[in-house]
Amino acid sequence: MTTMNKTYKKEAKSCPFALRELLWITLVTLGTFLTWQQLGQLMSIYEDGILAGVTIGLITLGYFWPSIKTLTYWVAALTALGIWTYANNGNQYSANETAFFLKFLVSSQSATMWMSTLYVLAMVTYFAALFVKSDYVGKVASALTWSGVAFGLTGMMVRWRESYIINFDYGHIPVSSLYEVFILFTVVTTLIYLYYEQKTKTRALGGFVMLVVSAAVAFLLWYTFDKQANVIQPLVPALKSYWMKIHVPANFIGYGSFSIAAMTGLAYLLTEKLAEKRPNSPLLAKMPTLEAMDDLMYKAISLGFAFFTIATVLGAMWAAEAWGGYWSWDPKETWALIVWLNYAAWLHIRMSKGWRGSSMAWWALVGLIITAFAFLGVNMFLSGLHSYGEL
Amino acid sequence: MSDTDKSPKTSKPLKQKPFFLFLGSMNLAVTLLMMLAIASVIGTVLQQDQNFQDYIIEFGPFWTQVFNTLGLFHVYGAAWFILVLLFLLVSTTTCVSRNGPTFMQDMKQFSEKLSINAYKHQPYSETYTVENFEPEKAALLLKEKGFKTKIYQRNNGITVAGMKGRFNRLGYIFTHASIIIICIGALFDSNLLLKFREMTGGLVAETRAIPVNDIPAKSWLGEDNFSFRGSVNVVEGQKTDVLFLPYERGFLVQKLPFSIEVKEFRIKYYDTGMPKSFESDIVLTAPDLKKPIVKTIRVNQPLYYKNYAIYQSSFGDGGSELSLKVHPLLAPEPKSFTLKTTVDSTEPLKTPLGTFNVEFSSFRMFNIVPSTKEEKAKTGKKVHNNGPSIGFKVRNDQGKAWEYDNFMLPSKQDNRYFFMTGVRDTPTKPFRYLFIPADEKKSNNRFFQFLAVVNNPIKTNKFIREAIPKTDKVDPQVYRLQIRLLNQLLVLFRQKGFEGINEFVEKSVPKAEQKKVRDYYLSQTSTALQILYLGFLKETYGKDYVKNDVISNFDSQWFEDALVVINTIPLYGPPMYFELTGFKQIDSTGLQITKSPGKNIVYLGSTFLIIGVFFLFYLRQKRVWIAYSETDKTLTVAGKDTRDLPETQKEFEQLLNEIKQKL
Ligand code: HEM
Repeated sequence: MTTMNKTYKKEAKSCPFALRELLWITLVTLGTFLTWQQLGQLMSIYEDGILAGVTIGLITLGYFWPSIKTLTYWVAALTALGIWTYANNGNQYSANETAFFLKFLVSSQSATMWMSTLYVLAMVTYFAALFVKSDYVGKVASALTWSGVAFGLTGMMVRWRESYIINFDYGHIPVSSLYEVFILFTVVTTLIYLYYEQKTKTRALGGFVMLVVSAAVAFLLWYTFDKQANVIQPLVPALKSYWMKIHVPANFIGYGSFSIAAMTGLAYLLTEKLAEKRPNSPLLAKMPTLEAMDDLMYKAISLGFAFFTIATVLGAMWAAEAWGGYWSWDPKETWALIVWLNYAAWLHIRMSKGWRGSSMAWWALVGLIITAFAFLGVNMFLSGLHSYGEL
Repeated sequence: MSDTDKSPKTSKPLKQKPFFLFLGSMNLAVTLLMMLAIASVIGTVLQQDQNFQDYIIEFGPFWTQVFNTLGLFHVYGAAWFILVLLFLLVSTTTCVSRNGPTFMQDMKQFSEKLSINAYKHQPYSETYTVENFEPEKAALLLKEKGFKTKIYQRNNGITVAGMKGRFNRLGYIFTHASIIIICIGALFDSNLLLKFREMTGGLVAETRAIPVNDIPAKSWLGEDNFSFRGSVNVVEGQKTDVLFLPYERGFLVQKLPFSIEVKEFRIKYYDTGMPKSFESDIVLTAPDLKKPIVKTIRVNQPLYYKNYAIYQSSFGDGGSELSLKVHPLLAPEPKSFTLKTTVDSTEPLKTPLGTFNVEFSSFRMFNIVPSTKEEKAKTGKKVHNNGPSIGFKVRNDQGKAWEYDNFMLPSKQDNRYFFMTGVRDTPTKPFRYLFIPADEKKSNNRFFQFLAVVNNPIKTNKFIREAIPKTDKVDPQVYRLQIRLLNQLLVLFRQKGFEGINEFVEKSVPKAEQKKVRDYYLSQTSTALQILYLGFLKETYGKDYVKNDVISNFDSQWFEDALVVINTIPLYGPPMYFELTGFKQIDSTGLQITKSPGKNIVYLGSTFLIIGVFFLFYLRQKRVWIAYSETDKTLTVAGKDTRDLPETQKEFEQLLNEIKQKL
């Protein structure tokens, strides 16, 4: 996975139709075409639209961020291996316990376990990289993170297929239960982080971000082993809608960015403290400047806010179609509004009043608590129409 | 705005009154945003719109009073909450109207006519000497970088002004205008107009549960009503042209300009027993429709008609027809009677114990429960269906009620079949189930026949005397006492079960003797019951176990199971068992119908919001000026960005380098 770690390349722009680009566009288009040919008759017109949107989005993303191409190739290959192995075993779900590749690599359960392991290793390695001289450890950490994402995405794709294998009626995109969205959360958060890592050319924040991701992994494991939440369940009627396919991912880009902002805030506060207490600490040289972290916090919150806005609007539109009203003051809706208002206030204060520094970092951290409550707390403590995951 | 002050003088300074400054101020905006957030938190943490009594139980009278005065039990309708929203609206409007024009102008402004000195005071600027200057070349370079340019010939030189990302400014206007638009749309869909009509006395919410036709005109809304969201239950095969809108503590009736007939309601299930879809076949007829609209609506698939939307929102029983057999539980003869009724009706039953009202509240066609492990291994199914059940309450003349959950078909437990009946006397408790054992024909006949024997003193006496014949060896006095004891123990058992015998011993036997006597009495009761059972089997089924001596497994197991039930009958409430013998299911579907003229306005606002947010965050309005002075042959390169980011300086330096190289 060497290419993944190449830094963000601007030159690609000047020569848009290099061979790599051409290959990329061809392969993605081909993939879409095959999907559509195989499954088109099952898809509604909206789903056709979503597929087209995803294709264009992926091509564009790959163009601006070349590492995505490599990632996509890997995920596609691993997913294909999973689907192919199932097909070779008569499309029996039980093959995930017997077939070698499924059992040890790419059944959704195994892939998710790989993902979890890699994330935690990545976190440890990122932190270790802060204390050693060579760059090599940091590179390993990045590679681990990329591999974790690849397995996470593979797990999701294979799970999607598995839901149809278990029972055709159960089939659904795996973004509908709390277990599934936790995987989505780790993947999205990690990907956004990796983007910033390449763009800002520093790996110092990796450990901090992977801290949140590892916490999510801990939850995921508890949820799997204690509550068997990994079992694929069919969808309740309210969730059977194409809206889910766009509303949920948009939401998680928001949650992921807010998490990154909060962890950057944490790094900011710790660095500031360190600079005060031990101005000569070699760690300081490893950390980005306070100004850079402050800026990253702002960028992450902007990105999160933009997508969270989209998600909330999509959610309102979905609610209008499912429950007959775009706004019902349902706890989940209301908490989405609270999260939104909080970050709107944060952005106003920063943009207009020009506040910077530790107060904003603290606020970003508090923001994560609010966000976490909207994401998890509402399901745990409040009842409402959003009944997709109960603890 | 901090940066508008710094910007070149593009517009007249706005003189404003302090109050307006306050209204449009950032402090107010942030305060309002945070207030809204806190109010929303309260609204989700405190259960809204509950029964007042429940609040008093939870918080005590004092805090309930305080919370109520603050409007915390319906935050989203509280006056102060509306006030915050209004302030938000006013504040945003003030802000947009103040900044909007400036920003619009700023978007077109290249500020190309400023003096060289003014450029030198920009956030980034550098001045250096050059030999000559070709404005076209400079403009071209800027254009290549995506700037729009303007060339201005001053009297002592020339300025090339560049600008890019000017839609950033539009972003500000879009986001803030969108908030206003969304609020207006939401206002359209609010019930403000109804509130006004209520205040002026034209409208009164109905709080009683009475037939539609009896509802007074003051609770009706006509087709002119601007917006609404209400629901109605329609029984299969019936029609509706009205809708009920929840309002305050009652409801209003909305007349619809069309009628909806429900042909059929269906639930489909997954193999886990979870519902897979709820759907209704409906026919919409309207005077101006040539052909009625026929459609199946489902959750997530409403029917849109003009500016109305019709949703599948719930379902219930539409008055299923039930045939019942009522078995008295204390009668000395197995005499049941039949009862025909429907769900949602109440049947008065006169009995020797007084009049009972039986309120039939539900009928369930399927009771799907997870399979046991063995079952799963055998049938491969994850769930099984326990068949139809009814829910009802029996209320005595003092108003006390017992609630029941009775199953029609016997279900299998440990390889035996039982008729399940659940009972509870408080709605908050779970049901306690009695398992009435089925006989060999899987019917409950044997149970009620045997129960009648237990209840019949003549029969019990007869069976006991037959089983324990009088012999010469026994003293007649002792014999009489023994027979009497057995009969009396049976009476105690019938009244309160084994517990009754226990109580009797505790009351009337000295403490030291109690254990011994209790054990003796209990064993005597068992003996008596066995005698009854064997006598009953012989009399009714012609099975003479006295002679054969070996009782079949089924019969002995059945006896044990039956005793468990008879033992608990005293706790079963009024002594009647309602057996469901037949039914005709009639569903009703819950439709939600809305007219939401504000929806599209809200969506428009939302679109503006999204566009605006992206403009704001992802377009940076950047300006550069390349000003040549003929007097001292210098070039001043200046730059300014609406937002000061770390990369701004780098980008400026890069541009500067390029200019130095290429020009
Ligand atoms: C959709 C979310 C919103 C975004 C993204 C947003 C963005 C902004 C931005 C960027 C500015 C500074 C303008 C500039 O420097 O160019 C601003 C100013 C301001 N915004 Fe918002 N805003 C939003 C919602 C609101 C809301 C809901 C209010 C309600 C009160 C509000 C009130 C204000 C006020 C009062 C100012 C200061 C204007 C001045 O003093 O000149 N904004 N907003």
